Amino acid sequence: MKKILLISALVFMTTLQADAFCGFYVARADAKLFNKTSQVILVRNGERSTITMSSDFQGNVKDFAMVIPVPTVLQREDIRVVNRSIFDQFDAYSGPRLVEYHDQAPCNRYLYDDVVMSKSTTAKNATAEMSTREEADEYKVAVIARYTVDEYDIEILSAKESDGLERWLNDHGYKIPEGAREVLEPYIKSNMKFFVVKVNLEEQQRLGNQILRPIQISFNSPKFMLPIRLGMANGEGNQDMIIYAFSQKGRVETTNYRTVQMPADRNVPTFVKDYFGQFYTSLYKENIRKEGYNNVYLEYAWDLSGQNQVKCDPCPSAPPLYAEIAESGVNWLQTNRGNGYTGQLYFTRLHVTYNRNDFPQDLVFQETSNRAQFQCRYILNHPAQYVENCPEWANYQDEKIQRRRKELRELASLTGWDVRRYRDYPNYFQGYRAPQPPDQRTGWIEEPTTPNNKLISPKPKIMSTPPDKIETSQINPIEISDTIAPISQAEFIIDEEIETKREETKIPFAMIALTAITGLFLIHRIKS
Amino acid sequence: MYTYLRTGLRAALQSFPKDARHYQISFLLIFLFTGIFSLKWPIDPTQIFLTFFIALVVQTFGIIFLKLPISSLKSAFISSLSLCLLFRCDQYIIIALAALITIASKFVFRAQGKHFFNPANIGICATILLTGQGWISPGQWGSDGLWLFVVGILGFLVVTKANRMELAISFLVGYGVAQIIRMYFYQGWPADALTHLFTNGALLLFTFFMVTDPASTPTHKTVRIIWALAVGLLAFYLQAYKWVNGSPIWALFILSPLTPLLDYLFKGEKFQWTKPEQSSSNSSQSLATIIHP
Repeated sequence: MKKILLISALVFMTTLQADAFCGFYVARADAKLFNKTSQVILVRNGERSTITMSSDFQGNVKDFAMVIPVPTVLQREDIRVVNRSIFDQFDAYSGPRLVEYHDQAPCNRYLYDDVVMSKSTTAKNATAEMSTREEADEYKVAVIARYTVDEYDIEILSAKESDGLERWLNDHGYKIPEGAREVLEPYIKSNMKFFVVKVNLEEQQRLGNQILRPIQISFNSPKFMLPIRLGMANGEGNQDMIIYAFSQKGRVETTNYRTVQMPADRNVPTFVKDYFGQFYTSLYKENIRKEGYNNVYLEYAWDLSGQNQVKCDPCPSAPPLYAEIAESGVNWLQTNRGNGYTGQLYFTRLHVTYNRNDFPQDLVFQETSNRAQFQCRYILNHPAQYVENCPEWANYQDEKIQRRRKELRELASLTGWDVRRYRDYPNYFQGYRAPQPPDQRTGWIEEPTTPNNKLISPKPKIMSTPPDKIETSQINPIEISDTIAPISQAEFIIDEEIETKREETKIPFAMIALTAITGLFLIHRIKS
Repeated sequence: MYTYLRTGLRAALQSFPKDARHYQISFLLIFLFTGIFSLKWPIDPTQIFLTFFIALVVQTFGIIFLKLPISSLKSAFISSLSLCLLFRCDQYIIIALAALITIASKFVFRAQGKHFFNPANIGICATILLTGQGWISPGQWGSDGLWLFVVGILGFLVVTKANRMELAISFLVGYGVAQIIRMYFYQGWPADALTHLFTNGALLLFTFFMVTDPASTPTHKTVRIIWALAVGLLAFYLQAYKWVNGSPIWALFILSPLTPLLDYLFKGEKFQWTKPEQSSSNSSQSLATIIHP
């Protein structure tokens, strides 16, 4: 059965919750600290790294402050404040997506050719303020530099010992999380500097920015890493981070954790379209459970070089423009005019859910020469309309039923959902209303909530007769709004306590074989 | 028919423990299967096939023209497996080149009657240096504690069979002690960061299956120990101060050319995979007599 590409859609909308960077927030009062989700743009060119941190802080604005370890002393021109919209743009571009195919009827040809795309963006608001304080010297803490960049006051600290740094921060009115000293120590001993950010209230009011904008830092260092450990000092439980990486040669991967591709290009039931957000978050959590909690997951990888005309396939939103790429710190492209550019560029999107136990080291990256493309794409297959007097229809009908059963099995294995609730799906092609998927936080929703669910209450049908004979006018046109699936990044956070014991089921095969060979070896040794 | 099968199987089982390479091949095969099916490495089967094909063809040329024993195909098999495990590339031509360099290096870089580069090691490093393509993926193994146990203990058995355990130990001492001193005692990292480092599958695979290669390491025992210690220290330096990924592999590559010099200065007993009285030609003869009495 030939299929025609129809819809490419779906977008991820993230960042509804509080955002944090890998550094930690320090609060001045008893403000509640949020440090659950974050987004980072990494740009690597030779030994030069540019890191842009989406730092959203919810809580009392007076309490905002952030500490980030950096390998070198940053100059004024190494620090920029950028527009938050680039995060939303990259997110929309690289998120998981659905593709819809429509079967061709066995004896007839219908062509659908409109392509529906969707894109959703969101803005968040958070404000923060704080005033600078003077440094003190008896803490063995040196303030190497002090800058005001737009609405931020920035100090670069160099410390000799973690005690001194902790006392300095405490005495200057910062509330340091418990256990911060142990976390600070390795950075001090590695000769790293500390980048302390506060909000300059006057500047913020003068600029009129309600939103706390992302900070971008650049430095030359062989260290290609993200210091996530500091962020775990006050992070409770799991934190979620999405990393957008730009490089010249190819994919970026982690060298001290496994980088695992998400399952992709699977055929899933058509009703997934209505619940794509829940579908993907369930899939993500189920995949983490299967693959292990100590991995980094690849969600998107694409060659964005100027000469590559296909910058996405399908495109849930427009591919990044030159201005956005340049804003994120890519400085090696040549722009011709407007938004075009030439030069090598590769884009990688990584997703990591981390906590203290499963991620004892910081994330260390390397740029590989891998230019293979990857996307989290899931496929919907819509049945064809019934055709009169078609001898092949019965075969097609059986094929469809088999296919849909397979789709349900796929759904079960991808998401861990109990698909028995969808048992009518393989046999009803028109008017089927899927019940709500199970919600992992609130338990099972047993009753379908769609008002039209009466349509599924069916009498048994004989499959040799076409069950889905239907007037063309009854086919609903595809609404753009149907394809928007807002997913909050906070949905990815696994609320329940992660069991420290990991799934060991993935290597029994190797274990058995290794034991057998060792046995053989030992028997031989004993004999001789 | 059945009798032939049974005698053949028995002969195979009897000759299996006589050559440490058999164990090595078995282990590496298991690692490769684990990587593909359990750890989901993105390798396509064509890459594996291509690696083996090129390596075995080049080795066959060596057998024909350089009068090498047929059993040297086992070594080529091991080198191909190591390449599949350690070297990553998305282009077939580069993979073919790596396989070619791997085996050809054994015939080209020779001194005192033996090759001094570990074949897979030079195959990987030279390809990356020459083409800028391909990469080593130290993170692909993950860091589950299981690997420490399984690979460590079983690798131990394999290399003791080949009498090169001192290489693994002194490499681990050089690399590990330096890392522990720096990370744990000086920098104050928590202990589980160290565990994470040492349970990396790539490090363990290197320790027990690459640096212990008896054919390309110095022949004199004391020299060998010092040499492996140096490899460990260099690997530590490259990783800790130069942020080189897969540093043990690069350290071995850099220090391998020292082997002929050390062999020249300090004579030792040349290693042979099979003991003279059980040489592979003999065993294949005996296999033939069992099958066709």
